[in-house]
Amino acid sequence: MKAEDIFKDLELKFENLKVKGNTLPRYKAEVQPDKLEEAIIKFKSNGFNHFVALSCIDWIKDEKFELVYHLFSYEEKEDVFLSIFLPRNEPKYKTLRHLFPQIETYEREIHEMFGVEFEGNDRLGEFILEDWDNMPPMRKDFDTVKYGKEKYESVPLINEGGEKE
Amino acid sequence: MNENPLPSVIPDKEWKKIQRMLSKRSLWMIHFCTGCGAMEMPPVMTSRYDMERFGIIPMATPRQADLMLVTGYVATKTLKRIVRVYEQMQDPKYVIAFGSCPINGGIYWDSYNIIKRLDKYIPVDLYIAGCMPRPEAVMDAFLKLMKDIDEGKANGWMRYRKYYDQYKRNQMRIFKRWDE
Repeated sequence: MKAEDIFKDLELKFENLKVKGNTLPRYKAEVQPDKLEEAIIKFKSNGFNHFVALSCIDWIKDEKFELVYHLFSYEEKEDVFLSIFLPRNEPKYKTLRHLFPQIETYEREIHEMFGVEFEGNDRLGEFILEDWDNMPPMRKDFDTVKYGKEKYESVPLINEGGEKE
Repeated sequence: MNENPLPSVIPDKEWKKIQRMLSKRSLWMIHFCTGCGAMEMPPVMTSRYDMERFGIIPMATPRQADLMLVTGYVATKTLKRIVRVYEQMQDPKYVIAFGSCPINGGIYWDSYNIIKRLDKYIPVDLYIAGCMPRPEAVMDAFLKLMKDIDEGKANGWMRYRKYYDQYKRNQMRIFKRWDE
C-alpha cells in the first residue's frame, strides 16, 4: 500500500520531502503524540515493516523536543517520517518497543543524550556515557567547551622528578 | 629485581645495563585500539615495515606485554579500561601515545567526553605527533624508545610507582566509581 493512501486513511497532513540525489519518495507528517502508536501500527501492517531510526531534535527557541520515527517499505520503496513534539521542560513519552524491539536501544540513547523519559522502558540506565555528572550533553543549552575546560583542564599535572634508574 | 645470584664479577650497575640491553630487543606489544591509529598498525606489523625485525611482536594479553600503544583519542569510558590494562602489565612497562589526541585533545579539543592529556592519568614514555602518524613515524618511535630503554630514560613505570597517589587522585577526578 502506498504511503499517500495510508496518510489519507489516517487523515494526516503530509508533505513530500525533496532530497537532492535521492529518487525515492519521502514523506513527513506531524502526528499528535497520543495517535502515534495507532499510526505506526497502521503503517507496519501495510508494508512499512522496517524501522530505520528514531532521532531527537532540540528546538530550543520553540521550547520543544521533536522525536522522528523513520519507517521504510521494501514493497513500495518509500520513506516515511512521523514526528511528534514534546514540551521541553518535561519531555515524557511512552515506549514503543513492543512494536519494534530495536526502538529500545534508540530510546536508551535519547534518554541519555537528551533526557527524554520513556515510560514503560525499564532499561533506561547508563548506556554510552559513564560516570556522567551533568545535564544531558546533546541539549543545545549544554556548553561543551566550558564543561570540558572545567573538568579536564583543572586536573593538575603530575609533579615529576625525572629521575634515572 | 633479579632473584638469581649474581655472578660476582659483574657489578650491579653493569648487570642492569645488560638487562636493559636485552629487554629492549624483545618488546612485546599490546595495542589498545581506541581511535583511528589502529589503522596504521597493520602495515607496521606486516611485511611492508615488519616491526618483528626489531623484536617487537603483538601480544594478546596485557600480562605478557611490555609495551602498550594507545592509538588515538581517549574517552572517559576508555580511560578506565586503559588504566586497568596498564595496571595488569608487569614491570618494566612502557607506553607510547599515538597522534595528537592524547597530547592535547586534537580535533576533540572541545569535546565533553575526551580527556585531553593522557599523561595526567598514566605515565607516557613517548608521544608521536601527527594526525595520524605514518608507519615511518611509528617505526621511528620504536627505535627511539629502544634507545631510551638502553640509556635508562624510559622509566614511566617507576614514576607510576613513585607518584601513585597523584596519578590515582587524578584518575578519580574523572571516575565516579571504580567497581564496574
